[in-house]
Amino acid sequence: MRAFSDWQTNKPHDERVHDNEQVTTSNKHQVHDNVTKRYAKGREAMKPAVFQYVRPNNLQEALSALRDNADAKLLAGGQSLIPLMNFRLSRPTTLVDISQLKELATISVSEGTVHIGGLVRHQQLHEDEQIREVLPVLSKAAGEVGHWAIRNRGTLGGSLSHADPAAELPAAMVALHATLLLESADSAREVPAEEFFLGFLTTDLQDGEMITSVKIPVPAPNAKYGFAEFARRPGDFALAGAYVELSGEGGTDAVTWFGVSGGPERRELSIAKETSDRAEQFKELAEEFDPVEDPAYRKHLAVVVAEQAYQQARKGQA
Amino acid sequence: MADMASRPQFTGSRITRIEDARLVSGQARYLDDVDFPGMLEVAFVRSNRPAAKITSIDIEAAKALPGVKAVWTHDNCPLEMTSAGFKTTWYALAKDEVRFVGEPIVAIAAENRYVAEDAADLVRIRYEEVEPVLDVRTAALESTRQVHEGRSNVFFHRERKTEGFDDAFNNAPHRLKDTFTFHRQTGAAMENRSFAALMDPFSGRLTCYCGHQSPHELRSELCEMLGMEENMVRVVVPEVGGAFGIKAAMYPEYLVVSWMALKLRRPVKWVSDRQESFLSDVHARDGVHDVEFAFDDDGKIIAIYDHMMADQGAYAAVPFPGSLGETVTAANVLTGPYTIPHQATVIDCSFSNKMPLGAYRGVWGPIASFIQEGIVDRVARHLGKDPVDVRRMNMISDADFPYKNPSKMLYDKGSYLKSMEDALRLIGYEDFRKKQAEYRTQGRYLGVGISVFVEPTASASSEAGSVGYEACTIRVEPTGTVTAALGLGPSGQGHETTMAQLIADQLGVDVKDIVILHGDTDSAPFGGGTGGSRSGTIGGGAAISAGKEMRAKLVKLAAHVLEAGEDDIELQEGKAFVAGVPAKSLTIKELAQIAYTHVAKLPEGMKPGLEIVTRYQPPFKVSFSNGTHIAVVEVHPDTGLIETLDYAVVNDCGNLINPTIVEGQIHGGVAQGIGEAFLEELKYDENGQLVTTSMQDYLLPASVEVPRMKIEHIETPSASEGGFKGMGEGSLIAAPAALTAAVSDALEPFGVMVNAMPVTPAQVVEWVSKGTPAVGAD
Amino acid sequence: METFTKQTVQITLRVNGENHSVEVEPRMLLADVLRHEIGLTGTHVGCEQGVCGACTILVDGAPERSCLMFAVQAEGREITTIEGVTPDEGMSELQASFQKHHGLQCGFCTPGMILTSEALLARNPNPSEAEIREALSGNLCRCTGYQFIVDSVQDAAAAKAVNHTNADGGSDKEGA
Repeated sequence: MRAFSDWQTNKPHDERVHDNEQVTTSNKHQVHDNVTKRYAKGREAMKPAVFQYVRPNNLQEALSALRDNADAKLLAGGQSLIPLMNFRLSRPTTLVDISQLKELATISVSEGTVHIGGLVRHQQLHEDEQIREVLPVLSKAAGEVGHWAIRNRGTLGGSLSHADPAAELPAAMVALHATLLLESADSAREVPAEEFFLGFLTTDLQDGEMITSVKIPVPAPNAKYGFAEFARRPGDFALAGAYVELSGEGGTDAVTWFGVSGGPERRELSIAKETSDRAEQFKELAEEFDPVEDPAYRKHLAVVVAEQAYQQARKGQA
Repeated sequence: MADMASRPQFTGSRITRIEDARLVSGQARYLDDVDFPGMLEVAFVRSNRPAAKITSIDIEAAKALPGVKAVWTHDNCPLEMTSAGFKTTWYALAKDEVRFVGEPIVAIAAENRYVAEDAADLVRIRYEEVEPVLDVRTAALESTRQVHEGRSNVFFHRERKTEGFDDAFNNAPHRLKDTFTFHRQTGAAMENRSFAALMDPFSGRLTCYCGHQSPHELRSELCEMLGMEENMVRVVVPEVGGAFGIKAAMYPEYLVVSWMALKLRRPVKWVSDRQESFLSDVHARDGVHDVEFAFDDDGKIIAIYDHMMADQGAYAAVPFPGSLGETVTAANVLTGPYTIPHQATVIDCSFSNKMPLGAYRGVWGPIASFIQEGIVDRVARHLGKDPVDVRRMNMISDADFPYKNPSKMLYDKGSYLKSMEDALRLIGYEDFRKKQAEYRTQGRYLGVGISVFVEPTASASSEAGSVGYEACTIRVEPTGTVTAALGLGPSGQGHETTMAQLIADQLGVDVKDIVILHGDTDSAPFGGGTGGSRSGTIGGGAAISAGKEMRAKLVKLAAHVLEAGEDDIELQEGKAFVAGVPAKSLTIKELAQIAYTHVAKLPEGMKPGLEIVTRYQPPFKVSFSNGTHIAVVEVHPDTGLIETLDYAVVNDCGNLINPTIVEGQIHGGVAQGIGEAFLEELKYDENGQLVTTSMQDYLLPASVEVPRMKIEHIETPSASEGGFKGMGEGSLIAAPAALTAAVSDALEPFGVMVNAMPVTPAQVVEWVSKGTPAVGAD
Repeated sequence: METFTKQTVQITLRVNGENHSVEVEPRMLLADVLRHEIGLTGTHVGCEQGVCGACTILVDGAPERSCLMFAVQAEGREITTIEGVTPDEGMSELQASFQKHHGLQCGFCTPGMILTSEALLARNPNPSEAEIREALSGNLCRCTGYQFIVDSVQDAAAAKAVNHTNADGGSDKEGA
């Protein structure tokens, strides 16, 4: 492992105001604005603050480095982290760069389970033949993440640990019953996706842990999935998105939304066949959400994208 | 001497651009590519309060950081942005008080930008906040705090009314009113605004590098504000990565960087980051218009009243306070292409605690077009008429030229009605109306919007300054190739090609044998620069005038050497020859060698050399371009998404120099129009914070939002040399009105008539939910 | 495991087929190092958060943002910038097509546009207009309204196809 540190020890501080009075970040919504909308009040920056750079040669070295550096952050694709660092909204003292660990960038299907490494890039996920065959909805969703250049570098593990509420992949994990493998230097544990996302930019990932892979059960033959989202421009963060799971005769269906609250929102129900009944069902569920901006519109969109995803599922997308 | 312009070889042709070779290969040098040994880089600490007294600034920790050369406050740089007309005290670095978020307070010069930002982190500023003024209506109230103490917030008020307005308005059969609201925008060029300065070691003068539209204007302003003589300051404009008006202004950062270069005796560079650009590039639009209008039963519009309110922001931008441009010019051409006899306007421009307004492409235009086309569409809907018929009825006809509008502006000849009829054909208007009715029965909402625009171009004064002429030097080099220089400041318009086309035709040489220089006050003659759609007309006029003068000298010389009459000499393909006797010829190179070397062969009285400078001023105050844009959109009532499905433009900018370049300008303007109508908005929150400081928040149209456009040209020449009219802004003037009108048309079943931009998906869904549910109706 | 605790670090970057040894701070963005250390200023910087696409380069042949990668991370990768796709003399097919179709005005976004287009045509030699627009949707242009850019890419693809066919035709004849 190589570790490069800058010429001065960096004293971390998150002050973004010029006096000692903090910008109000008293509630989650304010934080949401500051982080997802990428603006810093009054303080302009475009170059990252100083950090120590560690490049492990393998997973074990990476996990050791995470354990040994209290404020260390993992650098995978960096497509969410580096913008925040450029704006100096994030100032990790140590970056552990795992982007080159090829062992974590594999996709395999065996015994009814899809295994996806934490460093699989979005474009790789989007183009992978096995994924297209067994989880076409995931392939489609991965193709909607950002733009091509972003997808070429952004990773599954990075997206899941960043847990942006408007991101496609955290919700995909919840919708597809994924289990995340979290490893640290001393332990490993499995967490169902539904339990992993705790709210706005918050996950169950503990200090020292890394998402090394996820496993997703190959859907039952009669299960069908659909996916839809809406953004102002293609490639922008979604204003609302949804996955619909139709389990077939007698089973329980589900809708998993994103972009409408602090994280993925999965609801099980038996989706009505009648259009107007379905609209009522979706509307009732969407009422529970608490979007920050344009709440009425976003709840309305939640219903629209759920219906679109339902139609996709009906067409037998999965 | 035969008139070259009667058989041009290059003018009017689709010549590929000369400047492209360096641009496509990454060899062009933009400002951040300018580098000198020992160059320092600057970061600013800016106000994060919209309105506050500064109670303390602690820079000690920043100064102590290794790699930091200087940490400056107002005390180190007591310079001021002076504006001739509306003097406001705008210090280069804030003194005691800040008036908008983003106002520079501290400047740090360090070995690189990383270190400069590290130091910026260590600066501590304490404020005592006061209530910010954030709304144009509130600003005008007596009870509102004064942005500049002791001075009314409304700093410009003007009332104008045509004679007989009241009677005409009050006696009209129909009157309607609406309030039109315009959001803040900015040019958002891909290259951020930047500046570099150094004491030139060869000449001992201050040399400033800046992506600017008007090199001489910038030099004059720098000299005035720095207290220097013009022969001691050189401005060099490198490649400019888009400007759109924002780079026509003077800025505080330019003064600070210049002062640093002078005082620190080091090359100094500041490159704006994208956040800084949104905060501190001049903003535009931001106005509210209370409009009333009167018309008769047939749809003939009789009178318009508009109370125009514009939010200038904290200071008068130099040299062009945008609020005046957005209102006064709008008032000048508010009736657009329509013969509306009466007009009354009240203008109020006021200060607020926001970034100052300056220029953005089409200043005034998108606003006036939106109102003028909005009025026509409201009249049509009120009377149940086709909006096309109401336009036909009110349109200026050929018999009306030269037409004087109610603001006494004189329109030169245009093709108003023809441009609309041609555009209707291009878009297939009648067919569309049939399809539209069909779609509505399926619950799909398509609409068509028409915008017939006027574009006052090539004015004596614009955001590029108030130099009514342009200058051109031409030097035929001893080898016969040509070097010409103009005072223009292009930023992608292709002047190196278009100006070469014009000169090539005058001199009978290949366009490839001409090099056009611009942007360096040492080589370019004193001129006006680029802005207000002036370069093609006034700059082109200068190029032709200079070309004619040089041509005359070449002809005279050739006639003398070939022993022929001047009238018999023709210049073509790099040669001067006697008409009808092509063998009796001299190459331009041979003529140049006589002019420079074998001067004994010169005719009596002719001075050696082939070098001239000419200034050209058009024979009019302004020339009106015109045209029609028609947009077809589909509005998705479920998501609120607006898709632009089809788009037609018929454009008349007089004689074309290069149709491909004109079309490129139109495409870009329409794309910016889509941004203005549907995407882009600079939003200040209720605390005076600008919340759209990234490209994820300020949404620019991408490749998937902009449709393929159909373009046709009409050429109604102006009285200028070459018959050109300006055209850089017309497409952004016209497009937002066409696009929003199409939305109004699509959502007509819901009773929607758009009166504010941008139209967002959330707004659409709200309209649809509140309007008549009309699936399958009408 | 190696640990370095000095202010800068020596790294070797492979750019346009050449190795460059540079001394950088770990925090330095690849875009800055390409531009200011190696002198390849054809890579432009427009937003530094991955939105505008001006800084797009090819990393192992795929478009990526050089503003969202630290230079130290680029060790061992094959970096291609606009200078790398420019032939010693004249222009590449795509570059010539951009000139022919007026696919640029101010030129600031152009290197990113051309590199993204190069990568697109390498994967999809005959893209539809929709595919071109989708591939370029992460590269913003403020000047052109995109239409002539799309034309440039389409025509370059067509020119390649023609060249390809001609080459095939030639070999067929030889075979016959």
